[in-house]
Amino acid sequence: MKKYSQLLTISCLMIGLSAAIISCDKSITEPQRVGYAPASVDEKAGAWKTYILTAPTDVTVATPTAVTSADYLAEVADLKTKSASLTQEQQEAVVYWGTGAVYRWNEIARELAARYNVPPASNADGKYPLPDAANPLADPKFPFSNPPYSARAFAYLSVAQYDALVATWNYKYKFNRSAPSKVDATVRVALPASALPAYPSEDAVVAAASYTVLKAMFPGEGPYLDAKLAEHKNSRLWAGMNVASDLTAGADLGNQVAAKLMARAKTDGMSAANNQTLTAGMIEAAKGRGLSEVWLSQESPLRPPMLPNYGAVTTWNFDAATKVALRPGPPPALNSPEFATAMDELKTINKSQTREQARIANYWSDGAGSYTPPGHWMRAAANAANDAKYSEVRMARTLALVGTALMDAGICCWDTKSYYYYPRPQQFGMKTSVGLPNFPSYTSGHSTFSAAAAVVLGSIFPERTDEFWAQAQEASNSRIYGLIHYRFDCSVGLTCGKNIGSYAAARGKADGSGL
Amino acid sequence: MKRSLKCLIVAAFLTPFAAQAQMPQDAIYMSKRQICVAGMYGYSSWNQYWEGSLKRENLNIGTQTTQSFMLMPVIGISKRVNVILSLPYVWTSTSAGNLMGQHGIQDVSAWLKVKAVQVGGFSVNAVVGGSIPVGNYVPNFLPMSIGLQCRTVTGRLLLNYRERKTGLYVTAHGSYGWRSNTRIDQDAYQANDRVYNTNEVQVPNTYDAAVRLGVLRKGFQTEFWAERMSCLNGDNIRRNDMPFPTNNMQATSVGWYAKVQPHNIGVNARVGYVVDGVNVGQSTSYMLGLLYQINFKK
Repeated sequence: MKKYSQLLTISCLMIGLSAAIISCDKSITEPQRVGYAPASVDEKAGAWKTYILTAPTDVTVATPTAVTSADYLAEVADLKTKSASLTQEQQEAVVYWGTGAVYRWNEIARELAARYNVPPASNADGKYPLPDAANPLADPKFPFSNPPYSARAFAYLSVAQYDALVATWNYKYKFNRSAPSKVDATVRVALPASALPAYPSEDAVVAAASYTVLKAMFPGEGPYLDAKLAEHKNSRLWAGMNVASDLTAGADLGNQVAAKLMARAKTDGMSAANNQTLTAGMIEAAKGRGLSEVWLSQESPLRPPMLPNYGAVTTWNFDAATKVALRPGPPPALNSPEFATAMDELKTINKSQTREQARIANYWSDGAGSYTPPGHWMRAAANAANDAKYSEVRMARTLALVGTALMDAGICCWDTKSYYYYPRPQQFGMKTSVGLPNFPSYTSGHSTFSAAAAVVLGSIFPERTDEFWAQAQEASNSRIYGLIHYRFDCSVGLTCGKNIGSYAAARGKADGSGL
Repeated sequence: MKRSLKCLIVAAFLTPFAAQAQMPQDAIYMSKRQICVAGMYGYSSWNQYWEGSLKRENLNIGTQTTQSFMLMPVIGISKRVNVILSLPYVWTSTSAGNLMGQHGIQDVSAWLKVKAVQVGGFSVNAVVGGSIPVGNYVPNFLPMSIGLQCRTVTGRLLLNYRERKTGLYVTAHGSYGWRSNTRIDQDAYQANDRVYNTNEVQVPNTYDAAVRLGVLRKGFQTEFWAERMSCLNGDNIRRNDMPFPTNNMQATSVGWYAKVQPHNIGVNARVGYVVDGVNVGQSTSYMLGLLYQINFKK
């Protein structure tokens, strides 16, 4: 009998344990960022230097109706109806978008970059079909949002947001129409209302500009972006922050600026970035300079190099001659002692990679399926600006400076890679713990991107300079620990990225913001 | 063994560390104060896998191979209560491409097996098991990772009927496997068509079901088995992307198992083959084990 009671006890314990386990909560908690009243509204931002606009008046905004007009009063009445009581879903939308228009649209861009960041599969003939912009959701999806592609998307997005917001600030203070809750104290607001004039709405400006750029960069995402655009616009009504005409004027302004940005994008050379007919000449030239073994795709079947002519795309913060001047000197010859030393370091890691080296390699890997190294740094920039409670326009300035530096870094780095056409360590027997990129080795893209971004961020947040630089250094090392770069790829890339970033930092010092 | 514990792993991207001495999936028990220690070597490989439901090869992997060595003591608490422990060392490699093989101690697991009801040749057995990662391996460098760094708990109901004279038996079981979230080295990742800005990754729970048909006599056992293992949810491997711990891995396998243990020393062997799957490699697996039974004062 004793035996049976024992069995019964054990059975009960097991059932209880199983029930407890099965009901366990597995939901993921992500750190949430919330809205704030900006530390400064940056009322002089209408005079800051823009990238594409020669003056804020390049774009036009209709003169708003007076706050005493019947039209305006009707808009306020409508706003009161919409903001009086919110569903759970509407409240969540208000909180989500309340974090910041620029912040959220940058996050959406990162989301899309990740979604499209997978190289095409080879077909039965051993060829890699090219993504087709006219048929973006077919296999392979358009675009392949690799690091250079993503850097460009982030740059255009951020510049569109920034230029549009500078123009917005100009018109806001020109018309000086207050927020509805300042006009009528009975308007119920769900977010902090600052002293910033409400017309045109900065949220609508950013939403429209971002929507246009992202839809051009990710043409298969129309329905997703439509939904984000509508929700963002409505969230301003639900929150009691803007009347309808604030939003209409903002959308109009944002669209005008985005159109100008997309006109630049059409002629910046990106359409020729994947011109594979140029590689034979690149290889010849590199051999002519004494390279004994050129880079060769390590994939099977052989994959054509990623965007070999991206180095010819138009830069933001310096001209084409400067780009050539920024190109680093040649890497060590393959039979030199310098090369042997670098290989020895990799051989040691290949034999006994430590867990910490693996952690660093993984943390910064930002490979297929991720939002890429430029996305990693855009996130760091957006979070730093959010921490500092920046106004929308200053947030946009931060991201435009970082975004353009990242794209410039990509252009210079790819120019260098194509110029030297240097072989990867895998051509000498190394394996990798992070996946092998399909383009030449010298210099390291991670190092160039990271140093450029870190220098810009250090200039904007001087108290955090060392922290950002330490991260760039770690990102750079991560490629050695992951066994896909020689140390000289990384150290030279860091130096070059630092120089590239200094142009954006100098621009920031001279853009009239006084920051 | 460890089978349902590691649905995903077993299923394919890693190896079935299947061995079955007195296992969590049989109705065989050690007597009181008996310990059987098994040392088992496992080998599993695939050169085709299912990317979602698309079956494909990958010339940048060639043949993926997972090998393991596992130490597994089975302890008889009483004739109707057994405890089974195991600790594997695992290593991976590929025949092509550039991916670096991983190796190390994986997860320690423990099972409690109880014969709750015995009527004639029919028995109802309740089994509960759990595993905890021991090695500090990288969890998401799939398909080279040696594990997922998550804790698991499995509850299993096992029914067995054995005809006394002939030793013919049929066994059926069903299990639910709970798996904890895991933490990866990155602070952002994509899964379920969105980006998560955290290092915490949700690993789907699993279920499995199996039938076994065999003969068990003194010192000798052989059986054919069929198993179905699946995650309860999860996403697919994206087109041409690498697998990830959130993937909904599913596999149906068939195989054969045998054990010969006339005295204290014995051997066992197992072969398994994945006939159908989703988000898994179509692996063929082999296992060979050496068994040693110790009896403490009869």
